[in-house]
Amino acid sequence: VAPACRPGTAVLAAVVVAIASLLAVRGVARVPPAAEPAQPGAPLIGPRIRAWFRELLAPIEDHLLRWGVEPDAVTYAQLVVSIFAGMSFWNGWMFLAGWLTILAGTLDVLDGGVARRRGVATARGALVDSLVDRYAEFATFLGLGAFFRADWVLLPVDVACFSSLMVSYTRARAESLGVALGLGQVQRPERYLILGTGAWLSDLVSHLACPVLGRPTHAVLAGAVTLLAVLSTATALQRARGAARGLGGHPAP
Amino acid sequence: MLLVFGLGFRLDTPWQGVAWVFMLAGALSAGAGLGLLVRRTTGGDAFVQSEGGG
Repeated sequence: VAPACRPGTAVLAAVVVAIASLLAVRGVARVPPAAEPAQPGAPLIGPRIRAWFRELLAPIEDHLLRWGVEPDAVTYAQLVVSIFAGMSFWNGWMFLAGWLTILAGTLDVLDGGVARRRGVATARGALVDSLVDRYAEFATFLGLGAFFRADWVLLPVDVACFSSLMVSYTRARAESLGVALGLGQVQRPERYLILGTGAWLSDLVSHLACPVLGRPTHAVLAGAVTLLAVLSTATALQRARGAARGLGGHPAP
Repeated sequence: MLLVFGLGFRLDTPWQGVAWVFMLAGALSAGAGLGLLVRRTTGGDAFVQSEGGG
């Protein structure tokens, strides 16, 4: 039986995460701000945070290159981690599930970086990456849906899952018709961050509040999933509008 | 990450032995990492590499 109430460990975990967050904020602050203001519809995670994160991952990329790790191996590792994240969600292990989701997102960034630096960024690799990304996202949402199967939160989970797939599908379909779509406030990194952070934060709050409430609560995760559903839907529609505008009166291919 | 996963195992699962192993390994790694960070901070290039790539 999983331990139901561990406020002391939760306090320790909160301190560890707070130190890591302070170091992250300090790292981001050292990255020069972007020269141009953000465009409307730009991703929520701005260029400054992206640049800091890429810099943080650079030593890991170096090691992967030195060890001769194939980008496909990193892509499949992302799928395996996402399946573990889904299983953790299913079991209600939200702290673990949250960090596994963030780890899966990190591997998603790493595989492209390794492919580019090895000079093996191919169309086949891009296809495998896109397909594995969809399965990985579905594995995570499947576990989340299974956990909330008897709860109203299942509805936002379903909407978030469908909208996440639609965000990617709309871009892929538009690009196949010749329209490049870069816009979208909530893309894959944002989805990983909202879901991952919502999950581990929810578990921390649950363990910290359990002496008072006397039962676990997943209110923070429910809020994060609802937010994700709303923002993903808005992004999918935003992309659909952008694609329709870009196509205009072009004849069908 | 080791420390965080250790705390996660301790919070969420019945595998408390695994949790302690992760937490011990994570605490050692985090201590070593923070020690290195403090030394690099005095060199002025903690976390973000200098323009020379150092």
